[in-house]
Amino acid sequence: MSAAANGMATPHPAHHGSGPVVWAAIIAVTCLLLLVFQKVLWLVVPVLLALILYYFLYPAVRSLIYRGMSRDGAASLVTLAFLVLVGIVGIALMPRLTSKLTHWQDTVDRYVQGGTQLLDASLRGLERHSPPLARAKLADTVAARLAQSTGSIADHLEPVALGIMAWTPSLLLAPFLAFFFLRDGRRFKRFLGSAVPNAFFEKTLFLLHEIDRTARAYFQGLINLTILDTVTLAAGLWLLGIPGPLALGLICAVLAWVPYVGSILGGLLVVLVAATDFPSDPSMAYWAIGLFGLVRLLDDFVYMPMTIGKSLELHPLITVLMIFAGGAVAGVPGLMLVLPVLGVVMVIGETIGLIITDPRLMARHRHAKALRRVQASADL
Amino acid sequence: MVKLFRFRKTTPRQERLHELSLFVNLTPAELEIVDGLLHERHYLEGEVIFDEGEEGQAIYIIASGEVLISLPDHGNGRHATQQGGASPAPSHPLRRQGDTGRVAQLGPGTFFGELALLDNSPRSAQARAASPCELIIFFRDDFVSLLETHARISSKISRQLARHLGTRMRAMALSMSAHQHLV
Repeated sequence: MSAAANGMATPHPAHHGSGPVVWAAIIAVTCLLLLVFQKVLWLVVPVLLALILYYFLYPAVRSLIYRGMSRDGAASLVTLAFLVLVGIVGIALMPRLTSKLTHWQDTVDRYVQGGTQLLDASLRGLERHSPPLARAKLADTVAARLAQSTGSIADHLEPVALGIMAWTPSLLLAPFLAFFFLRDGRRFKRFLGSAVPNAFFEKTLFLLHEIDRTARAYFQGLINLTILDTVTLAAGLWLLGIPGPLALGLICAVLAWVPYVGSILGGLLVVLVAATDFPSDPSMAYWAIGLFGLVRLLDDFVYMPMTIGKSLELHPLITVLMIFAGGAVAGVPGLMLVLPVLGVVMVIGETIGLIITDPRLMARHRHAKALRRVQASADL
Repeated sequence: MVKLFRFRKTTPRQERLHELSLFVNLTPAELEIVDGLLHERHYLEGEVIFDEGEEGQAIYIIASGEVLISLPDHGNGRHATQQGGASPAPSHPLRRQGDTGRVAQLGPGTFFGELALLDNSPRSAQARAASPCELIIFFRDDFVSLLETHARISSKISRQLARHLGTRMRAMALSMSAHQHLV
């Protein structure tokens, strides 16, 4: 009987992929969401960071639950331990950071100067080997332009520093949100499930599982990718003898969360550090550029498919086109958000498409509604 | 800290879960973990729970009420052909004469759709509420994640599931041999 209620060597029903209409809707909704998210970045960024933190801390919570702790206790303990750890690291780094921050304008100027000198030396080297470039006085022209723009660096940095200060309270939301995700995530899923009519329940719960699976795979992939990038870059920088390899590697790996723009900024940072700390040896900066290019290649062709690419199961062409579309629609935040948003919208769109085009499910829902109507008016 | 690792008393719902054969071997701590994964649904008499041919995602446990398992009648005493035009299977051994597709009526404490925990093959019969009923639903994805995170709990559930399927297979084999004797 109950065995009969399940598969008995029956073939799977043919699974058809989503059609062009569903895909057009998925892309349109993704772009629309990115536009909306751009307007509420103060909320989207903390939620995104909280999700990353949630997936980072989740294994520890799971492990404590497995050892017999209640979910509430495990979530509280892990969040508290994380905050204490951040506090200890913060206190340990505070003296160094304070001393750096008091001279931050000088430090930035020094690194920009180092970069400018490297560029100048490289261009003059090119001019020596290429008479047309020498006749065009490329090095002098670029130096003059850079002198104009570097004069206003302080003007550019002040708004950036003010922006970071303004964002700090909003970013403090991240651990707070992560705690509630850890503690009440399942309850939220059950709460959402309880609002779904019986006829669509299995399909909708499947959808929620898929969203969770996609998000988990994406964010855990992102964490793994960051670790791989950090380790590879730090090892390379350490071999080259560039100071602070681990910190530099971590900063570059985190910057790489923003496609293209982040990678360029990371590369620039590494080159500036190499050029400034080894002013008499430009080859060090070239080695750093080579290393960064190698890590990017490794990242794009080995690490990314191993981590994030696997999670979203997106066609590479769609991935690239959507990254461009995200950048065009919502700028840098769009670049960062486009893939996770597309992944979630894709799962929702495909499942809604399956439900509303299934006449049997719709008929069952109408039947259940009629039964409820009859029951509600039975004694009237 | 010691208190954090001490579990609360089992709730009435967990006590009820413990009475179900699928969860009978679980400790209170394990039941609390499983309880967090279960969903509850209420169905009215006559409401379809799932249809034959639908992709199975979950196992259903009857907490109260009754559920009718039936096969659509495709004529000539043949078992329902599955979606995709597969060849028809022999007539169902558990089907009684004059039942017109009725396979079984299940009561509280029993469960159905259990193969959905193992794979996503289509349901081979329809389940419909025979009376207003309350069902507890356990999703395959939750079971799969339980396999990864709580191997001990999932092995206990798997063992009970295997026992249940073994009993079912023996019953079917007996029923088929009796049927052959009669013919």
